Amino acid sequence: MTIEEGARYVAAAYAVIMAVLIVYYFMSSRRVSVLKRDVELLESETQRRQAPAGGAE
Amino acid sequence: MKKLLSAPALFAVAGVLLIVGVVLAFWYSPVDASSMGFSQKILYYHAPIAAAALVAYGVAFVAAIAYLRTQDLKWDRLGFVSVRIGLVFSVLVMITGMIWGKAAWGTWWAWEPRLTTFLLACFLYAAYWVLRSVVDEEQRRATYAAVFAIIAFIDVPITFFATRFLPEGLHPVVVGPGGGGMEGSMAVSFGICMIGMLVLMAAMIVRDLEIELIKDRVTDLKTSLGG
Repeated sequence: MTIEEGARYVAAAYAVIMAVLIVYYFMSSRRVSVLKRDVELLESETQRRQAPAGGAE
Repeated sequence: MKKLLSAPALFAVAGVLLIVGVVLAFWYSPVDASSMGFSQKILYYHAPIAAAALVAYGVAFVAAIAYLRTQDLKWDRLGFVSVRIGLVFSVLVMITGMIWGKAAWGTWWAWEPRLTTFLLACFLYAAYWVLRSVVDEEQRRATYAAVFAIIAFIDVPITFFATRFLPEGLHPVVVGPGGGGMEGSMAVSFGICMIGMLVLMAAMIVRDLEIELIKDRVTDLKTSLGG
């Protein structure tokens, strides 16, 4: 096998690895930020619902 | 210390190590003199990815034992994410292995000991995932999953030692006594890639664990809000 032929296989293997790992990194980062935003919204909603009850006492 | 073990810090360390490792692999380590030639460069990521997959399954095994001893769901979460990350690495191993197999052996697949036992590990851990999805009650699901993870782990040492006990297979022994026959500069590049990939695996487990914990918090908040 020539270096050029070998290089094609090597490039394909590294491209697959890089693609999967980079996609994983950005998808997981996005997932964390979306979930953190959900927590913030839910926590503020919880506080909002508790506020009138506390004020009425 | 907590910041050093956070996912972003681990991702950064892994990224640096993997870039340095692959640069050394291509520009410092020589081209393999055997019949594999230039395609041997796939080894520098392929073998560490395989090791990372097996270590992730090892983490799931330890987490399964810890869960059965303590009944603490945090161990179930760790086991679940470890299997998930192990599967990601396993898929990468299978794809890169097939590419390398085509280049080195002239075939995409061979039913030889290492490949067959690794494929079996993939199926076992895919079944672990299926098992989790069919049990609703949390503690019961965690118990079944832990028992299954312990049974599935039996295949991991078999996969690792397959090339040593059954040397007639196509797979070479990469890490072994005397460096597995690897030349010095190759061993340096390979070692850096190996550490980098293991750190990356740790980063991915920490990141996924963080996701699972935040999901739990979202579920708790939704329950407390009545929805």
